[in-house]
Amino acid sequence: MNFLDFANLAVKTCQKLGADEAEAFVQNEQIVEVVLERAEIQNERFKTHSGIGIRVIKDKKLGFAFASKLSKENVEKACKAAVSLAKVSLPNPEWVSLPVKERLPQTPEGIFDPEIANISGDKMLNFVIRAYNEAKGYDKRVEIDDGKFSAVLNEIAILNSRGVEAQGKTTRIEGYLVCVAKEHGEASSMAYEYDVSTMLNDFFPEKIGRTAAEKALLSLYTKKVEPFTGMVILDSDPAASILLNPVISSVNADNVQRGRSLWSGKIGEKVAAAKLTILDDGLMAKGIGSQSFDFEGAPRQKTPTITRGKLVGFIHNSYTANKEGKKSTGNAYRGSYTTPPTIAASNFVVKAGKKKLEELIAEVEKGIIVRRFSGNVRLESGEFSGIAKQASYIENGEIKYALKETMISGNAFQALNDIVEIGCEIRPTGIRAYTPPILVDNIQIISKQ
Amino acid sequence: MAVELLKDCIKDFHKGYVELRYHQRRSFNVSVKDGKIDTLNNGAVEGVCARVLIDGSWGFASTTVLGKEKIRKMLDNATSLAEASKPVKKRPASLAFIKPCIDKYETPMKRDPRKADKEELVSLVLDVDKTVRDYSKTIVSDTVTFNVVDDNIAFVNSEGSEIRQRIVRCFGNVTVIAREKGNITSAYEGIGEQSGLEILEKTPLMNAGLIAAERASKLVSAKMAPAGYFPVILENRIVGLLAHEAVGHCAEADLVFGGSFLANKIGEKVASEKVTLVDDGRFPNGFGTMMYDDEGVPTQKTVIIEKGVCKSFLHSRETAQHFGVNPTGNARAWTFEFDPIIRMRNTYIEVGDHTLEELAEDIKEGFFLKGGLSGQADFNGEFMFGTQEAIRIKNGKLAEALRGITISGNSFEVLKNVDAIGKDFVMRVGLCGKEQVNYVGMGGASLRTKVLMGGAK
Repeated sequence: MNFLDFANLAVKTCQKLGADEAEAFVQNEQIVEVVLERAEIQNERFKTHSGIGIRVIKDKKLGFAFASKLSKENVEKACKAAVSLAKVSLPNPEWVSLPVKERLPQTPEGIFDPEIANISGDKMLNFVIRAYNEAKGYDKRVEIDDGKFSAVLNEIAILNSRGVEAQGKTTRIEGYLVCVAKEHGEASSMAYEYDVSTMLNDFFPEKIGRTAAEKALLSLYTKKVEPFTGMVILDSDPAASILLNPVISSVNADNVQRGRSLWSGKIGEKVAAAKLTILDDGLMAKGIGSQSFDFEGAPRQKTPTITRGKLVGFIHNSYTANKEGKKSTGNAYRGSYTTPPTIAASNFVVKAGKKKLEELIAEVEKGIIVRRFSGNVRLESGEFSGIAKQASYIENGEIKYALKETMISGNAFQALNDIVEIGCEIRPTGIRAYTPPILVDNIQIISKQ
Repeated sequence: MAVELLKDCIKDFHKGYVELRYHQRRSFNVSVKDGKIDTLNNGAVEGVCARVLIDGSWGFASTTVLGKEKIRKMLDNATSLAEASKPVKKRPASLAFIKPCIDKYETPMKRDPRKADKEELVSLVLDVDKTVRDYSKTIVSDTVTFNVVDDNIAFVNSEGSEIRQRIVRCFGNVTVIAREKGNITSAYEGIGEQSGLEILEKTPLMNAGLIAAERASKLVSAKMAPAGYFPVILENRIVGLLAHEAVGHCAEADLVFGGSFLANKIGEKVASEKVTLVDDGRFPNGFGTMMYDDEGVPTQKTVIIEKGVCKSFLHSRETAQHFGVNPTGNARAWTFEFDPIIRMRNTYIEVGDHTLEELAEDIKEGFFLKGGLSGQADFNGEFMFGTQEAIRIKNGKLAEALRGITISGNSFEVLKNVDAIGKDFVMRVGLCGKEQVNYVGMGGASLRTKVLMGGAK
């Protein structure tokens, strides 16, 4: 039996068991990964995640079950579990229906690479060695602490009783390295560098090694700075975690409908500086979150969320869209077959500005640049505080020295309005946000006096 | 799965060391959002992994397709990986000796969740949800969840160990959002331990719900706590975060190897003499408790810091051999898809004898920090974790409540500044991410120290 056969079996079985609606999500994920630990290649792993998640609705009551082993017997067992859970559930009066059959857009370009799908352990090992050697060879003071490189093939099939039938494959290769630099008894903080790509040819392990080493060296010989309020350049990663995380949470229609977003009822209003434009692009070529359909089989699309500082749209799955009589924006998401769909950004893309990082630095009279943020961001209120890692002090447009034990704090929603400049070097981050470095003003810079 | 089958699969393996681990994880989850059942989820994931060590080189493979033939094939995969990576190994691995064990362990339980009435659990979660939403007019949204994770693990290795463990964990969380006059805030509280459903009587989910509801409605109009270096009392519920982030990670032998701030510090004073810090693999009902780790090593109570002096690190068999000490039973894997790495189990600071009033009375201007959020450790000893609530202390008396902030510090300094520890010990649950996630326990009693607060102007 293939994927769709199992999905079909599940939907039919649930219907026989009395479900009004049923959906099967079948996944087969194959991962080849190499783990670095204690400056050494520790392990190679071949992993397979495969299984089925079954969602059923009976009298507007929802049940969900999953099984990791795809066999006729197991699928039928999971169907029974899902239906029996639906029976002990309570009706949700706001339930309308599972997604209905719709024409899907063309499959986005560059989301599947057979070279990644069929990658050998040796080839993965070679990638790691290239990154490792680059970091090691970059500077004698640099040591590699740990890292992981993974090649992932993700095959999914979704079928429901409303006629949705979607199937597709995506690939990605990703890796990170953590480096530290040591000299004369001084040790830097942990410098982390990550990259991800859907195509093997766009993945450059040397760049990961080099950048991780550079970052580690940037936090040697640190000095303290007196506390002040000023400009901060957030490199792509901290920009994503501090600024974009609260934005993604606030445009999530489930949060909007539940009163968890400060932006409910604010479509058309100004929420950020006019320089900021963000598109949720589910169809972007080579996007990590791209596909012609989302995780419940609804068509993916391009959804503008902020245009020139104005809030223009929210992201929906079929449940939140149905509640408002709208069409889903194709943002249903699941981490794996073991959970029912929620809402997430597909590729959350900040429109690039014109300036390079050096030019952003040149604009800062007194401020800091933060390359990693180790802290907490409260998604609803936008409050953030934490340690500025691999941070440097900037004065009169020049980097002066690396910073020691420095924290930053502020409010992301205020910071969105205090954006001074958006850089041009866009890169993907761990939360599927594509963003360049962003320069913001009025951030608290904190140190022990 | 029968240990017999696993044993049969490795009986002809003579190339080096081999272990097989079968892991079945059954889970049940109820999630209620704003009075509506969002998820009722039931399922199981299972598989087997093989780890081999041939001439100092590791190989690992896993499969979800069970059966002798498939397991043998996976074992071949692991073997060829070990052989392929041998030429690039700079430091051959070898294992510290342990006596082979044949044993069984099951979480002590009064109410086995397998026999649970699902409807009863659903109505309990719905009750908490209703009480939370009715707590105050400012509460606009909540999410209440309850989860049971039931792990069945079978372990065999080529040295003759055969271990079966069934580990049951129950945990629940409440998240509350409050809004008032353009302000919004969230609060979070949870319960959890390794036990059966009797946890619901011992630490009712309702109590967590009420703490979260009270906190959110109290803080909705409050300001963020100020920035600066202050004396603080860390509440008992978050002291475990200090034990875990400021010390625990840096005592993991893989980080020690990289030169963490505890490297070369055995026998040296690294904290105030008030501090005894332990990682205990057998803490009763601890979220990270297991009788054997995922290398088949019996777990133990490992004293990392005794009265301020660094005593031991946390080891796997491989690092124990490297450091010339006994393994401590800290090699843990999240599921069958992962090889074991060095992890904490239940990390805590031992109890003291102060009351909360006594802890506060010497503070002229400082804060009582409550409610944990996520944290992180850096190997140079700089750590941080978030707090939800900061109650101002003025001249030894508690004053107004402010919104919590992330705190940071250098482990050495913060531990040396611990000058008083309370008597209100609690053990809490945690989910720690380090390459792979895992369940851990974190504990302690309220204590006094100094930290850098990342707050407002």
